Amino acid sequence: MTPSSILKKTVMALTGLALVGFLIAHLSGNFLLFKGDKAFNAYAEFLEHQGGLLIAAEVGLLAVFLLHIYSAIRVTLENKAARPVPYETKQSGGTSTFGSRTMMISGAIILLFVILHVKMFKFTDHEHVDGELWGLVMQAFANPVIALAYMAAMVVLGLHLSHGFSSAFQTLGLTKPGWAKCYKKAGLVVGWLIAFGFFTMPLYGLVVKPKPGAKEHAPAKTIKHDENDDDASVFRPVLTEKGTVSWS
Amino acid sequence: MNVTLRVWKQPAPNQPGRFESYPAKDIPAEASFLEMLDIVNNQLESEGKEPIAFDSDCREGICGTCGIVIDGRPHGPGKAITTCQLYMRAFNEGDTITLEPWRAKAFPVLKDLVVDRAAFDRVIQAGGYISINTGNACDANALPVAKLDSDRAMDAAACIGCGACVAACKNASAMLFVSAKVSHLALLPQGQPERRTRVVAMIEQMDKEGFGNCTNESECEAECPKEISVANIARLNREFLLAKLLT
Repeated sequence: MTPSSILKKTVMALTGLALVGFLIAHLSGNFLLFKGDKAFNAYAEFLEHQGGLLIAAEVGLLAVFLLHIYSAIRVTLENKAARPVPYETKQSGGTSTFGSRTMMISGAIILLFVILHVKMFKFTDHEHVDGELWGLVMQAFANPVIALAYMAAMVVLGLHLSHGFSSAFQTLGLTKPGWAKCYKKAGLVVGWLIAFGFFTMPLYGLVVKPKPGAKEHAPAKTIKHDENDDDASVFRPVLTEKGTVSWS
Repeated sequence: MNVTLRVWKQPAPNQPGRFESYPAKDIPAEASFLEMLDIVNNQLESEGKEPIAFDSDCREGICGTCGIVIDGRPHGPGKAITTCQLYMRAFNEGDTITLEPWRAKAFPVLKDLVVDRAAFDRVIQAGGYISINTGNACDANALPVAKLDSDRAMDAAACIGCGACVAACKNASAMLFVSAKVSHLALLPQGQPERRTRVVAMIEQMDKEGFGNCTNESECEAECPKEISVANIARLNREFLLAKLLT
């Protein structure tokens, strides 16, 4: 039995929202790039030390990503088949956007970007790079070709999310009469904000060209530090005498 | 006024068609678009030529029979009108106007600008009804309906099934039509007994007919002569997913 049109769109919406969730987590972690090599590398190490949990998350993410692509291709092929003879003079009624009309193209560019991005930063040895993973990223972004390609890819991502994010809520039926304009605008803002967040990183690498160790951040004064802790830029939970947890 | 028509001419289903040009001379600006076609056809017939085939019935925008893609817009330029409510004053002297039929796999061309919209009828037959044991008609006020529900049901029921939504959609999706029919009945007490089975059956039939999938671009809403809102599509999605989950 072939799944119904709405079910296919539901898969697309749910996987799309899951990917947006991943992007938000990825973005918040990546903001540590601005804090310097120690903080960022400690975060990367923390993730790598999750072992099975990380692998499970990565496999899940890959599955969600592939499912999103599969349903997109299927829906697009069906949509093409639904109008075998094209119009000669079809005009838009003015409600579709450049982003909404190019979802397949922006999606394909994002797929290409993700493949290159994972190869570049996940499957490249950074143990011997000055500044480790942080150094690898910053070295790459110091190259104008790579930095500009990354920034261009983030504009494409913004375009994709500008339609995709709000569209998911419509597909899941999570909107109501009178919300139409409001949720479309909210989707536009959220989509472009996420893309802009990622956009600032290659821009920072290209313009500032930071060096490892150059930017040591003094921790906030109110936080007490364990004197044996050699990595002062990382917050760690400490069990106080009262039995509560404080972050130091 | 004088205009030139570029009309899709196709003698029969599954036969090749092509655009042909026709002069439309001395057309009063106050003529409706269909009256203009009548004038052109009278002229063609008097010359012993084949007239342009097009659909029309009530000619007051309520039956949903007429429908031509005029210069790339279903029902032509103008908002919330059917083809029969379009007037020649919307065009300029000397314009070339292109006329195409609704283009969709589910709406095969029968002849020239006439398409077969029986796919919509089969979607309605699949579930767009309520089953009632007949007897005397009930008192219209005996069954209370919340004002907001009644307004929204009425807005959805305004759909005349003309197919402009399918014609406007880049995916030839029928979601706006089906959502209007499902919403209209799902919002009213009379529609409740078959609420869950109706939406599933109608979507199954819609898919079977070969309509495309909705990509939430609202082009249908922009061209709908009755301004049916895409909020109905959100409701249709919700009704369908709940029906699948709860039954």
